[in-house]
Amino acid sequence: MTEYRKMDCDLLVIGAGMAGMVAAARAASLGIRTILAGNSGSLIFVSGMMDYLGVYPMEARKSVADPALGLAGLRAAEPDHPYGSVDHEQILQGFDFVKKVLGKAGLAYHLSGGRNLSVLTAMGTLKPSFMVPKTMEKGTRLFGETAEKKSLLVIDIKGLQGFSARQVAAGMEHRLARVIPVTVEIPGISQTIPPIVLAQLFEDPKVQEAFVRQVLAFSDKVDIAGMPAVCGVHNSLGIQQRLENLTGLPLFEIPGLPPSVPGLRLKNAFETSLAASGVTFLSNVTIKDPVFNGKKFTLTGSTDNRELSISAGGVVLATGRFPGNGLHARRERIVETIFHLNVHQPVTRSLWHGTDFLTRQGHLVNRAGIETDKDFRPLNKRGAPVFDHLYAVGSILAHNDWIRLKSGAGVCLVSACAAVDRFHKRRSKAGP
Amino acid sequence: MEKTIETQVLVIGGGATGTGIARDLSLRGVRVILIEKSDLNAGASGANHGLLHSGARYVHSDIEAAMECRSEGLLLKQIAPHCIEETGGLFVAVPGDDEAYIADFPGMCERAGIPCRPLDVKDAGQMEPCLSPLLIAAFEVADAAIDPFKLSIENMNHSLAQGGKYSNHSQLKEFIRKDRKIIFARILDTKTNETSRIRADIYISATGAWAGFVAAMAGVDIPMVYSKGSLLVTGQRMATRVINRLRQAGDADILVPGGVVSIIGTTSLRVKSPDNIFPSVDEVDLIINQGKQMVPDLGSRRYIRAYCGVRPLIGSGGTDDRDLSRGFCLLDHANDGVENFITITGGKLTTFRLMAEKTSDLACERLGLPSVCRTRYLALPQTEGSGWTEPGVSLGQGSSFHGREEMMCECEMVPASAIDAIVAGIRKNRAVPDLLSIALRSRMGKGPCQGSSCSLRVLSHLYNRGEITGPQGVDGLRRFLNERWKGERALLWGTSLAQSSLKEMIHCGLFCLELGQGDLP
Ligand SMILES: Cc1cc2nc3c(=O)[nH]c(=O)nc-3n(C[C@H](O)[C@H](O)[C@H](O)COP(=O)(O)OP(=O)(O)OC[C@H]3O[C@@H](n4cnc5c(N)ncnc54)[C@H](O)[C@@H]3O)c2cc1C
Ligand SMILES: Cc1cc2nc3c(=O)[nH]c(=O)nc-3n(C[C@H](O)[C@H](O)[C@H](O)COP(=O)(O)OP(=O)(O)OC[C@H]3O[C@@H](n4cnc5c(N)ncnc54)[C@H](O)[C@@H]3O)c2cc1C
Repeated sequence: MTEYRKMDCDLLVIGAGMAGMVAAARAASLGIRTILAGNSGSLIFVSGMMDYLGVYPMEARKSVADPALGLAGLRAAEPDHPYGSVDHEQILQGFDFVKKVLGKAGLAYHLSGGRNLSVLTAMGTLKPSFMVPKTMEKGTRLFGETAEKKSLLVIDIKGLQGFSARQVAAGMEHRLARVIPVTVEIPGISQTIPPIVLAQLFEDPKVQEAFVRQVLAFSDKVDIAGMPAVCGVHNSLGIQQRLENLTGLPLFEIPGLPPSVPGLRLKNAFETSLAASGVTFLSNVTIKDPVFNGKKFTLTGSTDNRELSISAGGVVLATGRFPGNGLHARRERIVETIFHLNVHQPVTRSLWHGTDFLTRQGHLVNRAGIETDKDFRPLNKRGAPVFDHLYAVGSILAHNDWIRLKSGAGVCLVSACAAVDRFHKRRSKAGP
Repeated sequence: MEKTIETQVLVIGGGATGTGIARDLSLRGVRVILIEKSDLNAGASGANHGLLHSGARYVHSDIEAAMECRSEGLLLKQIAPHCIEETGGLFVAVPGDDEAYIADFPGMCERAGIPCRPLDVKDAGQMEPCLSPLLIAAFEVADAAIDPFKLSIENMNHSLAQGGKYSNHSQLKEFIRKDRKIIFARILDTKTNETSRIRADIYISATGAWAGFVAAMAGVDIPMVYSKGSLLVTGQRMATRVINRLRQAGDADILVPGGVVSIIGTTSLRVKSPDNIFPSVDEVDLIINQGKQMVPDLGSRRYIRAYCGVRPLIGSGGTDDRDLSRGFCLLDHANDGVENFITITGGKLTTFRLMAEKTSDLACERLGLPSVCRTRYLALPQTEGSGWTEPGVSLGQGSSFHGREEMMCECEMVPASAIDAIVAGIRKNRAVPDLLSIALRSRMGKGPCQGSSCSLRVLSHLYNRGEITGPQGVDGLRRFLNERWKGERALLWGTSLAQSSLKEMIHCGLFCLELGQGDLP
């Protein structure tokens, strides 16, 4: 039986990834009556790190130490990049806003004081980021211009695939005084274990103690220890502190292959925050068929057994790219899936991708997307906003190759905050 | 001082032909070393359609080649059944196809002695429901599918078992000649950049499209042109049999099943060089648009990979390279003033054994060894660890895989034990395993996710086993990703693009593999 229902709100946010979550949280903080629709499952893929601008220019093939400097270069050379519509201060405020939202929901993040942080990954590579889960913070202190060379214990866990302490050690040997790889065995794991299940196991004190017993032997040989990001799903920082107390070693988490535990923690924290701030969250609802009657939008939201008719004064489109399905690529061209907006893209498919996967310049398809005005309102072919109160935020935006620039979460959160702020301002001006 | 190794015969090129020769000579008791600049089947042998031709395809253009295919095909089905799936094949025509060609076809097959049974088009549609409902003619022939990877691996393994030697990442750089003879070959180890010498009585170039370059090193000129052919792999198998378009050879007119997938191709494009080629977006579109005339579903299928190979064509031909003979070309360079140098090129996978036989006969004659070829009767043994090249093998036939085993590649169901067996096999050849050499010997990374997770799982597994140490593992990952990319980039739309984006997010967005790590803070 299909159930029909009508709903009404000031702002409908479509998409519950990084950008949609931040937009909804921002709207709630401004007292806007908000509905958020979408599948927050996509957050389980994200690494948990939040980048500002890690690399600029791309050709440099290395990270920038100071993202503000990179931003200046980027804004000058590529004014159409989403960061062209905001400034450094706004970006910092965006990070700070998200940090507070997550903090209130019990998930602690460490925000850089200004320089990019170097995060050790499960590949044994370093990745520049700007705000990382507190449980990753101590690792970032191993690197950087002034860091002295420390001895590191890298721990992997038997049965956790895609994470080898030896591999991480091989990547770090030349950077640190000493790196010792060790494998810890958790009782009861027979073959392989998915990271999220392992993280749940880590909430069990018996598992923690087994871990500690095997790490203890190294306590006086190293200064610090890194482990996969599986330190519990809930209360990860508390569990980490307990392990630190028992081993006598500072610990940090190392991000790895999805599905990602830090991603799950983010999802949980955002959902806690939404619930507390009164946002209506329609999880697993797919939005389609938008109609604008000159004043309000009406859209259909559907699940397997529900049809919702949602009317909204404004809409924030945060539906992501190809994996999120905000953009869809046909053989001949790329389309936007809900409003059929104009998608900025290369003229033919043969230009979408370069011949080298790891190309310095990045692939042009990653710069395809929705072009907007300075208020993040999508433009039609003539360069005018399609609707007064339709906004596009996050990775769906054009001219934004976040993969190469290391600016994923940064663009999501600052575009989300800016769009919602501008919607709010415009609405208050126009009166209720 | 360079290290020198001595042997009776040096075979250059590790494709079907080279490995076939190594096996043939080893079985005759000749000491042989095979060198390959990259790894087994790096050339056309790893980039073909996998069709064991009944011969019907060539009855019009080249009756001799057609007859060779027929007899070799029959023979291979006897001696190497584990490399072959006897699918049978159809030739079908759709409205607009040349009526005269259709009418002549059965007669041409009969002249070549190739069995060919006319079918009612309705029956053909029932035999292969994917076929266009508009067929105007259909015939049944004895085509089959052959796994070229397994074939070369087993050829080489059989040679190794008889005392043959194999060296990968070993590139012929130079022939040193004295008077009418080559006195030694200089070999570059492309992994360590060290050179060494091999001194042999006879030098055989089985380098396919690269034969011209190798001959030039001996001062011999072989005029060659190169024809690139691209192929697409569908996500699922579409037909039981091989399906050929009943017309003069054209683009995208053969659909060959291979395990759980099907392969549609090919194109034919002149290229300047056999190196740095990849399937283009235009070729992909051409193949799909042509192929769907015969099998409509090809228009909406998900494709998981594209690849291409180069056909070496000797001499400059007419306008369509497909008209040039696909027969093979055995060159005794004594005629060009180099007594101990032989080139074998051209031909087909289907006729590799015959090519190897003729080449080995000539080599033995030059060596003054009376010998008989044994490959015509002797079965090709099946070795352990070779069964992982075939798509979906673990799902079907009896392999040693049990449900609870640790899985490395989930799309293609490759368990850890298979990876270990493959690595052991690579080690046995005294070669160093990396992701590419494992991928070559298995279906790892060839499923829908294109290796985004399994590459990382296998890599960490190799580190944990101590098979890889130091930073070269991540470089191996980069090489693997770039190699996979060649087959991916022209096929990226729909779900495939979504999956590929996710892969880029993981490997570049998160792990920063595109950055030169030396420069990071
Ligand atoms: C593997 C991986 C690693 C990453 N690593 C980093 C990192 O190290 N640092 C960093 O800063 N960022 C990282 N990112 C995250 C990145 O910042 C964001 O995830 C990315 O920019 C996309 O966010 P988004 O919200 O724009 O889109 P998505 O996360 O794709 O969200 C789109 C949402 O829209 C929903 N949707 C689409 N269509 C509809 C519809 N019709 N109706 C309802 N809902 C719909 C989808 O279900 C989905 O929930 C990583 C991401 C991934 C996948
Ligand atoms: C697109 C396409 C589709 C085809 N489809 C079919 C089919 O369905 N059925 C069929 O029967 N045949 C088919 N063929 C033909 C078949 O693939 C080839 O005839 C056969 O694989 C040739 O094998 P080979 O060993 O002679 O050459 P290759 O497989 O090309 O081997 C040559 C080897 O020499 C190596 N090499 C080159 N230079 C050096 C050097 N300097 N030092 C060391 N090594 C070197 C290369 O790396 C390469 O591995 C097809 C060919 C193409 C291109």
